Amino acid sequence: MSADPNERDLRAAEYVLGTLSASERAALDLERAVDPATEAAVRAWERRLSPLDDTIQSVEPPERVWQKILRALPGRSASAPANDNRIEALSRQIRLWRGAALTAGALAASLALVVALGRFGAPPVTPADTRYVAVVSRGGEVPAFLVSVDLAAGTAQVRPVGAETPAGHSLELWYVEGGTPKTLGVIGASARKVALPADAKAAQPGAGLFAVSVEPPGGSPTGKPTGPVIYSGTLIKD
Amino acid sequence: MNRPVRDDATLSRLLAGIASGDEQALKSLYDLTAPKLYGLILRIQRDRSAAEDVLQDVFVRVWQAAGSYDPASGRPLAWLCAIARNRAIDVVRRKGEVQGPVTEDGEDWVERLADPHDSEGAILGRDALKACLGRLEAAQRDCVVLAYCEGYSREELASRYDKPVNTIKTWLHRGLATLRGCLETAA
Repeated sequence: MSADPNERDLRAAEYVLGTLSASERAALDLERAVDPATEAAVRAWERRLSPLDDTIQSVEPPERVWQKILRALPGRSASAPANDNRIEALSRQIRLWRGAALTAGALAASLALVVALGRFGAPPVTPADTRYVAVVSRGGEVPAFLVSVDLAAGTAQVRPVGAETPAGHSLELWYVEGGTPKTLGVIGASARKVALPADAKAAQPGAGLFAVSVEPPGGSPTGKPTGPVIYSGTLIKD
Repeated sequence: MNRPVRDDATLSRLLAGIASGDEQALKSLYDLTAPKLYGLILRIQRDRSAAEDVLQDVFVRVWQAAGSYDPASGRPLAWLCAIARNRAIDVVRRKGEVQGPVTEDGEDWVERLADPHDSEGAILGRDALKACLGRLEAAQRDCVVLAYCEGYSREELASRYDKPVNTIKTWLHRGLATLRGCLETAA
């Protein structure tokens, strides 16, 4: 994943065209969720090609489909759906994974990652400018992870809080900056300290994003996210 | 095209209703758009049972994501079609499924780029796309159109044209870059 705008635009175009492989699609789904420029490129290609949709002939679906939809609606009228593009993008990926071990309800209840800066370790904390928290949540539920960033050491401590790992898979933590995810390793059930990429600008709110994807046991075989992103959060000033 | 009330204002209103949890609005949207979306999905996922599952998933998604629809970013039917296409493509790519033979080539799709029952803006967009597709080399145009309309993968296109996958990728990239340049000039 280079930051070359033309290369990114062609990837966005192939995404809309549908010619990317499953893993390339998953990587672009992540990029879309975290990088507004990629999302804009995808939307622009959808607009360019959408006139071709007019050529498609309608086919009446069987009546049973509507009944199945009714049964599958999560929550029905109980609560208003999420109203945020990023949540929408993430929850789209979550639903891709619905066939796996997790239920949609379990995910919805813990769609959050808290990222905090300077929350651990011995060094004194300067209250005014070193505490940041990011929450992506469907409605104030318990966060999935707490990620504490120690700038001096260049490390982050990852503490699972409400996260659930789908059976037979691993959760992998990514640090995404400029649309390029770098792995911080597989995260397990207990707290772990991981090294941040040397050039990470995590100290700057909005500069980088932490995301968690579902991967095969032991982590992504490709060095890029291959499964759906189920949690993400950016640093914002606390 | 026998559903005359499927205009942007109606669809946008229904999406707003769905965003606030109105199940009846979802049913109305389903009645208006499901045949179109099912037709779209079937072009990509030709197994009817699997296509029904995709259609179901699309409307569950719409139920959850209607609040994120932004009229500024495009027309409501295009937003729905993008969801349906993405879901259908995700499913066939994940399965690594090779689809059966198609009955049409890219030209047929381009020829059909005309529909009198639409707004002036939509016609302009369609004319521009048709004109710009017409400027592509035939093989590049067919690859672009067959991928978009029929869900062809790079590998399936390579097999159809008896070319290496990398050649197909080059064709696609050249075709898409030309298309983008042409549409930007037209706009």
